[in-house]
Amino acid sequence: MTLGIKCDTAIVGAGCAGVVAAHILADHGLDILVMDETPHTGGQSLRSLPWPQNPSIFTGLNRPGIRRLPGRIKTAPVPIMHRTQVIGIDGHLEILAEKNGKEIICITPQAVLLATGARETFVPFPGWTLPGVISTGAAQILMKGSGILPADNMVAAGLGPFLTAVSAEYLSNRGRLLSIADFGKMQGKLGMLTHGFHQFSKLLEGTRYLAKILGSKVPFHHQTMVLEATGTKELERVVLARVDNQGKIIAGTGKIYTTGCLAIGWGFAPNLELPLQAGCAILHDPELGGWVTAVNDAFESSIPGIFCAGEITGIAGASKSIIEGELAARGILEKLGREVDENRMAVLQRQRKHVLAFGAYFNRLHRVPDTVFCAIPDTVTICRCENITMGDIKTAVKKGYDTPALLKKALRCGMGFCQGRTCGPVINRILAAVTNRPAGDIPMLPVRMPVKPVSVRSFLQ
Amino acid sequence: MVSSWHADVVVIGAGIIGASVAWHLAKKKVDVLVLEKSDPCSGTSGACDGMVFLQSKKPGVHLALAMAGRNRFDTLEQELDADIALQCSGGIMAITSEAELTAVNWFVQEQNQAGLGVSLLDIRQARELAPCLSPNLPGATFCSLDARVNPIYLTLAFLEAAERCGTRVLSRTPVMGIGLKTDGIFVLDTPQKTIETRTIVNAAGVHAPKIGKMVGLDIPITPRRGQILVTGPMAPVLDQCLISAAYVAAKYDPAIAESGHMGISMEQTEAGNFLLGSTREFVGFDRSTTLTAVKHILAETTAIIPALQDASLMRTFAGLRPYTPDGLPILGRVPSLPGFIMAAGHEGDGIALSPVTGQLIAELITDGTTCINLTPFCLERFSNGAVS
Amino acid sequence: MNRDLRIPGIIRGPEIHVTVNGRKITAFQGETLLAALTAAGMKTLGIGQSHDDTRGAVCGMGVCYQCLMTIDGQLDQRACMTVVHDGMTIETQGDLP
Repeated sequence: MTLGIKCDTAIVGAGCAGVVAAHILADHGLDILVMDETPHTGGQSLRSLPWPQNPSIFTGLNRPGIRRLPGRIKTAPVPIMHRTQVIGIDGHLEILAEKNGKEIICITPQAVLLATGARETFVPFPGWTLPGVISTGAAQILMKGSGILPADNMVAAGLGPFLTAVSAEYLSNRGRLLSIADFGKMQGKLGMLTHGFHQFSKLLEGTRYLAKILGSKVPFHHQTMVLEATGTKELERVVLARVDNQGKIIAGTGKIYTTGCLAIGWGFAPNLELPLQAGCAILHDPELGGWVTAVNDAFESSIPGIFCAGEITGIAGASKSIIEGELAARGILEKLGREVDENRMAVLQRQRKHVLAFGAYFNRLHRVPDTVFCAIPDTVTICRCENITMGDIKTAVKKGYDTPALLKKALRCGMGFCQGRTCGPVINRILAAVTNRPAGDIPMLPVRMPVKPVSVRSFLQ
Repeated sequence: MVSSWHADVVVIGAGIIGASVAWHLAKKKVDVLVLEKSDPCSGTSGACDGMVFLQSKKPGVHLALAMAGRNRFDTLEQELDADIALQCSGGIMAITSEAELTAVNWFVQEQNQAGLGVSLLDIRQARELAPCLSPNLPGATFCSLDARVNPIYLTLAFLEAAERCGTRVLSRTPVMGIGLKTDGIFVLDTPQKTIETRTIVNAAGVHAPKIGKMVGLDIPITPRRGQILVTGPMAPVLDQCLISAAYVAAKYDPAIAESGHMGISMEQTEAGNFLLGSTREFVGFDRSTTLTAVKHILAETTAIIPALQDASLMRTFAGLRPYTPDGLPILGRVPSLPGFIMAAGHEGDGIALSPVTGQLIAELITDGTTCINLTPFCLERFSNGAVS
Repeated sequence: MNRDLRIPGIIRGPEIHVTVNGRKITAFQGETLLAALTAAGMKTLGIGQSHDDTRGAVCGMGVCYQCLMTIDGQLDQRACMTVVHDGMTIETQGDLP
């Protein structure tokens, strides 16, 4: 028998947006159920050590708004179902989830809030499948979630402020950072600091990370990217090279580093699988970070009763998620016939406008140019699950397989365990780049239940 | 600006049947234009299993057509110069109850009489062939001719081979209307072009009735949903493709038909994933997958191969099989409308029958006769009151 | 192993042991299996689809499925999403080259 649960609102994701919304809805007496795939509360931004005796080693908690959150999470009576993976939502707002990797449960709420967050994106390079090449997010999660350095020494590479943040954290924890390779320009970083002026805390945070890195004397290269990673069975060497203003690698600038760990990160892509499976409309806007779910002012998606908040409506970081969590909660209250404080809504909408403006600047600045995707060598693996290379993709595109769905049919890319989560955003950009179309013309792969693999046994209970 | 094109034959639909028809015609130097409303292989052919199964066919015209179809697969990879992941390791029909065993006994005898070599095995013999089978099963049958392919690779291979012979394929080009001029020339309206031709092949699968309506034909094809589950890759344990006997036994024993046990199918692909199917539901054009179906299919398949309990369910999908009331495809010319040829309604046999269907339709168009009599497959069989 | 990757000064849960491919490694209750494997210096967690290349964890947050292992007999579990317990047995999937 499948366990059935009824509630007023089901929230998917216990990150910033989900937790804020849960507390507001619970304060209004609603029956809430929050589900999260991980064993902890707080999502990626508020990850902390599982041992409560420790003071938080995560510096990001100093931001206003975020600072107050962990206390509320601990005290308020919001039930959070951890290790619960939502695998699908049907047209009648019926949610299927796998609990503890053991059983399927079925939740029938009045309204659903999707706050599924974002994941990192990458620009593949030769050797990026070698063990030892990890994401900047993984490096950070190991440090702040388990108190473990990803490696004794490492190189960090990619694009954007998260790279700077993780590098600084690694240094603070006495990791030996050999080099940082930022694809962006130094001027971009300075520009971002001035744009962050409206948000003093962000400015402060960024400055502190930069100061930590500059004080450490670790080589901080701008307009530099990974040319290749090599090693027989695991990563042994990383070659970094300079790029020109168009993002093309400048021949003869390669520099070799001997290391067993390379942390890479090129920014974020929203986790749209659940909204797509549920049938929510999406829209493409480079200033929001690419494909995102379309929502109205109340944060309701095109499917009545399904609300979306946080990174899945646009990439702009934790502050936006916190604001949208509250806005979406108020949207849900209104939908369920409760009274809403219009003044508070107006204040939140104003705050959101500021973070969106910053987000737009941020996303424009960190948009990887098409030239970079075109320049990926043919031998590089793009779909890691099915071992599909850039050359395979280019050949298939020449035969007319020019959408993600057609490529999946012709090559199986996106058919593996990750269901295209890693290669999907990359393939969309590659298709746009090599066929010279706007990224918004390349649709997302369709998604069906289960949005993540589940054990067969769970269905047999 | 809408411009006009001409083609000797217009094939409507770039699924496996349309693709095969196009290639067989193109090989005979016929000028073919394929019109596809979305993308090649985006309908039923992209959402099905790859079984080329003979054991499940009822002796008679159905089995005869299937056997002729099976022969074509032996040389297909060479002819198409493509990898279609053909695996000829035979097929197993797993018997799950004593009642099924009795019914299957009759069925096997009839099949052997019809010339299809099928052997009835006890469970010990069956597990020698496929050690992953549950020791609790009463037995199984085996037929060495049963095979499997990757249906997507095969569809795309047909199309690519046709294109190499000069066939034009227009994707994302729906047919919006069909006119007939007095000189017998069809005029097809599409958003991009107007196309003139003397011969139309309706290979639009579940959408064939919509095309038929454009020329005033009533085509009794209904979408029948088949949900299929995909597991994560596992170590290879099953060489053969496998179906449960419930499906066949139900034809002989009404009690089995009412028991709620549906016929399920299982195959392990080259990559190690299991495809587990499938449901047979009349739900219109709804391609969603359901928890009820997932639970049902997993309960039935894990009872046959217990090791599947350790697997992960990675994906589900649903295809709409083009069902006809008598289970046979609709093939051949429509007498009331010379120049309009049917090639649709294969339900679950489209993959297995695709090579022979393409061959027969090409023969019909270029030679006027076919090596297999198409009368049992004609559209008029439904209007004669033979089938309700 | 030259250096202990566990960041000093952190109060951890009780010390426990898990067995990876028959080898006993130390872990602390509450941490993820990926953390314990990283601390033990184990980077190669599996093989790629073509069976001739090695793979390790990438995202660390349950997205990339490159850290799939057989944990307590259950196939295809993500090391990064699994919290260790004492006596856990872990096997890599496929023959590592």
